Amino acid sequence: MSSNNLQLVKRKLENMTSSPNKMAPVVRAEYINPFIESVNNLFHTMLDCHVHREKLALNLTVQPSRDIVGLVGLSGNIQGIVSIAFPVKTAMKLVGTLYHEELVVVDEKVTDAIAEVVNIVAGGAQAIINQNMNKPIELSIPTVIRGNRFTINYPKLTSWIEIPFYSDLGEFMIRVTINSKEI
Amino acid sequence: MKALVVDDSLLARSLLVGALKEIGISDVDQASDGLSAVKLTLQESYSIIMIDWNMPNMLGIDALRSIRKKDIETPIMMVTGLADALHIQEAIQAGVNDYMIKPFNKKQAIEKITSLLQIEAPKACC
Repeated sequence: MSSNNLQLVKRKLENMTSSPNKMAPVVRAEYINPFIESVNNLFHTMLDCHVHREKLALNLTVQPSRDIVGLVGLSGNIQGIVSIAFPVKTAMKLVGTLYHEELVVVDEKVTDAIAEVVNIVAGGAQAIINQNMNKPIELSIPTVIRGNRFTINYPKLTSWIEIPFYSDLGEFMIRVTINSKEI
Repeated sequence: MKALVVDDSLLARSLLVGALKEIGISDVDQASDGLSAVKLTLQESYSIIMIDWNMPNMLGIDALRSIRKKDIETPIMMVTGLADALHIQEAIQAGVNDYMIKPFNKKQAIEKITSLLQIEAPKACC
């Protein structure tokens, strides 16, 4: 991502966090940009595919989903959750590309690969974030959820930054909720 | 040559097995956790071990320490999404010979494996 784009993301986040909505916590750009960078790196390296980010949003709730969602927890100075939600169509194309085969059903192969994708994205972001942290953040082992209109509730963490992406393989959404002890 | 690939992700194992096959190593054992990996190293002799960090049962880093404690000197490559300097340093102190950060593609994996084993990479690859 160019420095202009990074500045733009930073400004947008600053605008969002200066809103009169008192429920919205401050989420620093340096906690969000690493995830964007990490997604770009994964798509470029493993899938040889371009991906672009669309407009960021800040939401207090996550709507019920039919997607395949990979979750990984963050602990340490930053506590939070990173989720990547793939519509089934995108997940099938993405995993099929990784295996060089056409997939027709969502099976263990698909959910395993989505867990690995989330793990890699979170790991890449963790490395960037840790460069500037005195106490490193740690990651949990990823979990994948797939169901029919499920909702994920995390009452202690009050808002989600949503980062929609579009790629040649289809759309997907990263959601990050962070509670920083440093704020 | 025989290899051991240890990762709880089927995808990661599949990509590494594919890269090993490309350089002529098709005799590959697989494990999905650190504990199984340690057990396998006591039963078999390997030319190379490729191991993930974050796994259930036993972390890759603990498996690595356990393998080295048993005086097994097989070249070991940590293959993980943990890309920060602290983790790399910890792995080196535990006795790892090389470290490959995820994401990787087949070409990068082949380069790393051939370099660690000091063998030639196939001419037409990927």
